[in-house]
Amino acid sequence: MVDQMTNRGAALEMRGINKSFAGNTVLAGVNLSAGAGEVHALVGENGAGKSTLMKILAGVYQPDAGEILIDGQQVRFARPSDALRSGVAMIYQELSLAPDLTVAENIFLGREPLSFALLGVVNRREMNLRAGEMLKAHGFKIDPRASIKRLSAADRQLVEITRATVEAKRVLVMDEPTSSLTAHEVEDLFRLIRELKGRGLAIIYISHRLEELDFIADRLTVLRDGRAVYAGAWGEISRAEIIKHMAGRELKEIFPPRLATKGETRLSVTNLTRQGKFRDVNFAVAAGEVIGIAGLAGAGRTELVETIFGAYHADGGEIFLNGSPLHLAQPNLTVARGLGLLTEDRKRTGLCLNQPLATNLTLANLKTLMRGWRLDRKRETAAASEHIAKLHIRPSDPNKTVALMSGGNQQKVLLARWLFADSEVFLLDEPTRGVDVAARSEIYRAINRLAEAGAAVVMVSSDLPELLGMADRILVMRRGRLVAELTGRKTTQEEILRHAAVDESETTGSSFTFQVSS
Amino acid sequence: MSDWIKRFIPFASLIGLCLVIAVLEPRFLSSGNLASVARQTAVIMVMAMGMTMVMVSGGIDLSVGSMMALAGVTGAFALAGGAPTVVGIATCMAAGAVCGLLNGAAIATLKIPPFIVTLGAMGIYRGIALLVTDGKAVVGLPTKFGYLAEGNLFGILPVPLLIVMIVALAVHFVLSSTRLGRYCYAIGSNVEAARYAGVRVTRCQIIFYLILGTLAGLAGAIEAARLVTGQPTTGEGYELRVIAAVVIGGGSLSGGQGTVVGTIIGALIMGVLANGANLLGISSFTQQIVIGAVIVLAVTFDAYQRRRLETAGS
Repeated sequence: MVDQMTNRGAALEMRGINKSFAGNTVLAGVNLSAGAGEVHALVGENGAGKSTLMKILAGVYQPDAGEILIDGQQVRFARPSDALRSGVAMIYQELSLAPDLTVAENIFLGREPLSFALLGVVNRREMNLRAGEMLKAHGFKIDPRASIKRLSAADRQLVEITRATVEAKRVLVMDEPTSSLTAHEVEDLFRLIRELKGRGLAIIYISHRLEELDFIADRLTVLRDGRAVYAGAWGEISRAEIIKHMAGRELKEIFPPRLATKGETRLSVTNLTRQGKFRDVNFAVAAGEVIGIAGLAGAGRTELVETIFGAYHADGGEIFLNGSPLHLAQPNLTVARGLGLLTEDRKRTGLCLNQPLATNLTLANLKTLMRGWRLDRKRETAAASEHIAKLHIRPSDPNKTVALMSGGNQQKVLLARWLFADSEVFLLDEPTRGVDVAARSEIYRAINRLAEAGAAVVMVSSDLPELLGMADRILVMRRGRLVAELTGRKTTQEEILRHAAVDESETTGSSFTFQVSS
Repeated sequence: MSDWIKRFIPFASLIGLCLVIAVLEPRFLSSGNLASVARQTAVIMVMAMGMTMVMVSGGIDLSVGSMMALAGVTGAFALAGGAPTVVGIATCMAAGAVCGLLNGAAIATLKIPPFIVTLGAMGIYRGIALLVTDGKAVVGLPTKFGYLAEGNLFGILPVPLLIVMIVALAVHFVLSSTRLGRYCYAIGSNVEAARYAGVRVTRCQIIFYLILGTLAGLAGAIEAARLVTGQPTTGEGYELRVIAAVVIGGGSLSGGQGTVVGTIIGALIMGVLANGANLLGISSFTQQIVIGAVIVLAVTFDAYQRRRLETAGS
């Protein structure tokens, strides 16, 4: 039931796009069109072909067949600069800013305002001024002179968005733009999107968060296995039907029930402090318990779990694991004592990307695979295969280089690493970021099995429906302090956000309703 | 499939190179000549084994030539003072181990980039070697010490070749079949990810440099035996040949990639190139150009492979 409308006012039309890599068909006859002033939501599981389709639109890849029309004119993008020249800009999921340059330098990269045009002298003053105005107009509080590497992930995302709005004349592609943003920043972003729509831009918006699409999407295309399996106006079909189209099957339970009983305290922290990050944090988790940590970006949640794990030193306070204190925590010691951290940034602190799946999976617990000095490869392959089957990791070849796997499967490999390490306390930092619906459900199921088997789970998440669906208790952090403890089954997203917001007067009921799930 | 190509290309190049040289100059295949290739490349190969480990772990060591010279003169002093051969060799290795330990400790604990640390160390170790010998060769080594470089086991197997084989087997075992080896690849691939997985990164890194230093010391012993003197100026420029052997053999300058077999092939490609050029009467100046071009080719290939990996899976 692919909708074949020939949108005469279409700013962008992609027709019959085919693409395969090394014999694998990634896209098969995909059509996509977006009118001027329209937000076209593109959804699909990881590996469905969304990113490839968008990279073709941005000129990163060339299609094997099919055509692209901008304002009815056929175009051919041999390289990204061709796409930019035609007014097609893209905000990549993986940030693509130069970390050593300033905010303004990044925004104007490649088209710096010049003082003496012939000499190519950059007019730094004007550049900073104009960048500052742009950021301010968008409602982003970012210093244009700041170096990118000093910015938080969320601020970098906002800079990237600002840069793309300068480049985009006809079409703007946003690939998961909200994945590192707080509720408040998402609000700013949506205001900006509405403004860009008013300017007549066609926006392709990729997201895993179906909830937020209600607020901006006009049209919808669902990709599955490289085909557009549904296209229509937003709201024509229910969210459940969208998920069905994405997965090709019904997902009855995104949050499966858990039958865990609370046991003894596994992990507790008292007055834990790290200067400038968090202060006097106290909490405890028991066996069989899943607790959630909510908060805005920059509230200190990641820093807290990384400090407990020993990746950073605390400046004060104590950490107890199974009743005995952890002194001078370091990952090698905490891992040996049964702590596992699923990191927020799987590419930076999680995966050895150019290594095989099995190497990544077994890395934290090689000692169980040793026969004297020798690593038993057969046992390693068997152990890896067992976890690959348990978590439905695809592709299932233990020798597959992890860089070649999709984000959801990479995340499952990292979860499997801690399962294999027989951890007793799991610190999961944004466990489902950039993970598709089916993989999410499997991750949730695995977390439940862990709790049922007597593990303690601490889950940091910005996805409130996820926290509400999974956590027994939800701790809310604000500016480095634990400010509330809520019961998972009884609280609401509104209540969590009221505690999490930095300035309560800034947060009104309507500003976060987009995250409320059905 | 790309893995297969990556392994195969250096090997095919080596075979092809040998065939071409053998056709142009049949003397290349004489056992005497092949033994001399083995002897000439032995010193490079012993160090390249250690360098493979260091480079797989994401590091580099520019001071290998200097460590080799310093270790060589230290051992030569011991031998000239009447120490038995075994003690002389052990002294060389111990001196190399100390140098490697210092490199590793500076890199791993002070978090200084290995390129900078070992660039400094290259000058320091060379300077010490020159200072303690006053720039002159250490003489008076027992003649039987020369057996280490010139001797043949059972009359056919050159002793340096035997040493290379033992070292290669040992390093291959460590890299492919031990925990340390697995950590080496993990650290080289992503040092932060390794740390977050509970790997004791600092300790591992120190061990890798320590092993390389020890092997540089062993290479220094072989070189001193070959010259039957302790030369403070020996090994200049060897660091580039050692690194080139690893890179030509498929090792990556950015870590996480590289094998002992690849490095052996890389070292042999360079050794055969130099030997063939000599046999064919090609000047050493031209040889440098050819070897330089081969290195650039190998690195280009490595970069191409890495780009393919980065653009895939998206």
